[in-house]
Amino acid sequence: MNAKTMAGIRGSLILAAALLIAIVLSLMIGQIRLSAADLWTGLLTGKGPGALTLRVLRGPGVVTAIGAGAALGASGAIFQILLRNPLAAPDVMGFTSGAGLAIVCGVLAGTSLPMPLLSAAGGLAAACLVAILAIKRDGSQVPITLILVGLGIGFLTAAANSFVVTRLPPEQAAEAQRWLTGSLAARDWGHAGQVFGCGTVLAVILVIQVRALSLLELGDDLATGLGLKSNRARLQLAGTGVLLAATGVAVAGPVPFIALMAGPLGMRITGAKQPGGRILSAAVAGAIITVLADLAARSIVPGLQLPAGVMTGIFGAPYLLWLLSREMDAGDI
Amino acid sequence: MMLENDNALKAEGLTIGYGERTVIDNLSLDFPAGRMTAILGPNGCGKSTLLRALARLITPGKGKVTLGSDNIFSMDTRALARRLAILPQASKAPEGITVADLVRRGRTPWRGLFSAWSEADAAAVARALKEVGLTDMSERPIDQLSGGQRQRAWVALVLAQDTPCLLLDEPTTWLDLTHQIEVLSLIRERNRAQGVTVVTVLHDLNLAARFYDTLVLLGPNGMVAAGAPQDVLTEDNLMIGFGLSAMVVPDPITGTPMVVPR
Repeated sequence: MNAKTMAGIRGSLILAAALLIAIVLSLMIGQIRLSAADLWTGLLTGKGPGALTLRVLRGPGVVTAIGAGAALGASGAIFQILLRNPLAAPDVMGFTSGAGLAIVCGVLAGTSLPMPLLSAAGGLAAACLVAILAIKRDGSQVPITLILVGLGIGFLTAAANSFVVTRLPPEQAAEAQRWLTGSLAARDWGHAGQVFGCGTVLAVILVIQVRALSLLELGDDLATGLGLKSNRARLQLAGTGVLLAATGVAVAGPVPFIALMAGPLGMRITGAKQPGGRILSAAVAGAIITVLADLAARSIVPGLQLPAGVMTGIFGAPYLLWLLSREMDAGDI
Repeated sequence: MMLENDNALKAEGLTIGYGERTVIDNLSLDFPAGRMTAILGPNGCGKSTLLRALARLITPGKGKVTLGSDNIFSMDTRALARRLAILPQASKAPEGITVADLVRRGRTPWRGLFSAWSEADAAAVARALKEVGLTDMSERPIDQLSGGQRQRAWVALVLAQDTPCLLLDEPTTWLDLTHQIEVLSLIRERNRAQGVTVVTVLHDLNLAARFYDTLVLLGPNGMVAAGAPQDVLTEDNLMIGFGLSAMVVPDPITGTPMVVPR
């Protein structure tokens, strides 16, 4: 086994251990503090405070956070590979806020459509809008244009979201605002099942598509020369990416910056270079970020439950600015 | 059994334009099987456009391209990828991937969706790496290679694709003279060893004359000449194609025509 493989295995173990630690901490810390022993007893016997925490108090929230974070992280990695740019993520390009807007509007309109469906519709609509607006005069699309147009659409949908919130009665407005910031408070097993159900289906589809992704990252011409129907494959991958993001949004709200940060973070730790490995490490990194953000959000100010999105924003916004300035230095923007 | 002339490329009445501008107008050309053909001409004359049409990367407004007896525009994408490979101009490798990672992707048209990596795949990759002289560097990240090595890695990718027809778009651009000769030599070795049909867009007229059997010279107003190097690289043709006043003398080493601008 060569040094590269060893480093890869070590990185993967580190990432897995970090996720495990994040999960355990998240289950232990809260208004009532539990010991690891309490949790262990609860897990084995199904009795005591540990069991209650796992089953009702924190378990569903943590599992939902894992699923939502993984879905958002994987989605981010897909777009980052597809557009070959670390800025390309569904939260930067407005897809997640589009999904959020659709859910808020849907709920207000009193529709009985399930949240993931609303979320998917909103995400896909935002993505289509971005794709259409970014078409250049000669019919081509350039990644950086897609990203910048997406950034614009993101601001637009955020403004629309704010507008909708102002039209609501105070109580509902607070709730909607909280949800739009991205929050994992009061999640139940229904949410966890939903995100893992949708996520699993999309993961299977992604496994089939991953080889196409490894060709597309060589450039469209070469990919076509290697026998890929490039345009169709790119659309399909973008579709999977948007739906993964929408899956996360449906249970956690449009939590910002997870999709943006997860890919580079996961890749940094595992050293994965191939698309499959990059997406997988992004999913795990996304889960870690989300679990920790939720933990920080509910424990950093005692007695106050902040939305998780506040936490990801604190780290994500400076990271985004740094990335933007780097792109500008490189002359890409 | 594939007949030799199944690997001949043929353009018939090709007309290609971008919007209002017609780049190639009613062009018919033969690219004989097992031969090396270089497409030459000034910037903007449609060299790359022609090559892209031959590889089905763009669809012509009129006309067709045949590979053997098949019209490439009605072939299955994958079937075409097993018979014809294209190396586009100045490709950029994904960050951090190794030479072997890159070259392995050349095997895609031969692999089923879930089929395992076969011995034939491994052999083709190993042979391609050997042909370009990167066997010892196969585990190195592409971004750590020199310009010449990097270009050889890209050539290895299309060599691993193992097609009887190979198209290359300016494979020597940005390389110094030594590396240009290196790349063209290894393409010619593949051509001589396996009878692969090669079509290349090139800038350097003298190298084209040295390495290629047939030259096609495109000018601002369409094709100027096609044929053996000494018939194409004449003083008159250079004037028509490039607007260049030049003397053509025999290359002191190979005897092929050598262009010396006045």
